Amino acid sequence: MKLRKSDMGFTEPDMTPMVDIVFQLMMFFMIAINFENTKADERLKLPKDALAKPPTVRPEHELLLNYGYRRDANGSRVKSVPEIFYNERYLEVFEISPALEQERRVMERVHGKEVIKDVTVLIRADAEIPTGLVQELIRRSQDVGFSKFSLRATSEEL
Amino acid sequence: MKLRTRTSAPSKVEVPMAPMIDVIFLLLIFFMLNLKIFTPESNYSVNMPISGPSAQVDQHLPEIKVTLRSDRDGNLTEVALGSKNLGNTDAAFERLNREILAIIGRPGNPLTKEVEVEIDADYETQYKYVVRAISKCTGRFDPESKQIARYVEKIKFAPPHKPKA
Repeated sequence: MKLRKSDMGFTEPDMTPMVDIVFQLMMFFMIAINFENTKADERLKLPKDALAKPPTVRPEHELLLNYGYRRDANGSRVKSVPEIFYNERYLEVFEISPALEQERRVMERVHGKEVIKDVTVLIRADAEIPTGLVQELIRRSQDVGFSKFSLRATSEEL
Repeated sequence: MKLRTRTSAPSKVEVPMAPMIDVIFLLLIFFMLNLKIFTPESNYSVNMPISGPSAQVDQHLPEIKVTLRSDRDGNLTEVALGSKNLGNTDAAFERLNREILAIIGRPGNPLTKEVEVEIDADYETQYKYVVRAISKCTGRFDPESKQIARYVEKIKFAPPHKPKA
């Protein structure tokens, strides 16, 4: 007896609904993906604050500095001194001046000599860093020529 | 020479679906790997005068100075506004918020554009307390109306202290 496929109670599954689901998933991911915050380092725990709402106006020129502790898998600190995560390197605040000067030179070359007055330095600092070190970072940036600063915090759920 | 043209009706074109679905899967995997879920962040602008204490301090503006003292580990020991000690708990920051409101009168007062708050923190004070102090000086979030009432706009830091030995 010749058995045909339909005799065995076997129907080939229709792929169309599965492809529809895949399209739905892809639409979700395409809308949810956000490329803007790639420089925002996830290792930092920013201070939380209820008043922190995303800014309405983006500064035209910005320099993002990530300042935090190196942590191991449990979340405890590897080094007791916080470091600036700069270009895949770890720099202490006392070593940051040459890097800041380099940033300034690059910006001047690209945007002209007057840009330094418009650059906003965005400081993303871990919540536990001693304030004195953040002030030291700000002071060194001022020595290089930056004058506008902005401190970042995450939005807190009320 | 006979040119043989197809006279039959145009037959259905079978679109090969399998390669298209493969491409869709590749795209999907790309987006899945690149999705980052993050909490929205935002800024507080801080005014940092490069010259030392500013010479042109308007005399009829109230001088607001917030002092944060801490122990060697950075935990808060005291929050003070001017000479008034407000405590060292979370309630201290709420008191700070109310005191600032009392000073400026009401939100939206043109005074808020001019008056400056100076933050004087110990070297060890953890950064999060400074951010909280800035937040309590800058305004208040009303949970019912979802509005932010702005208090003071200008913040500056006092020169840093020496670290405790």
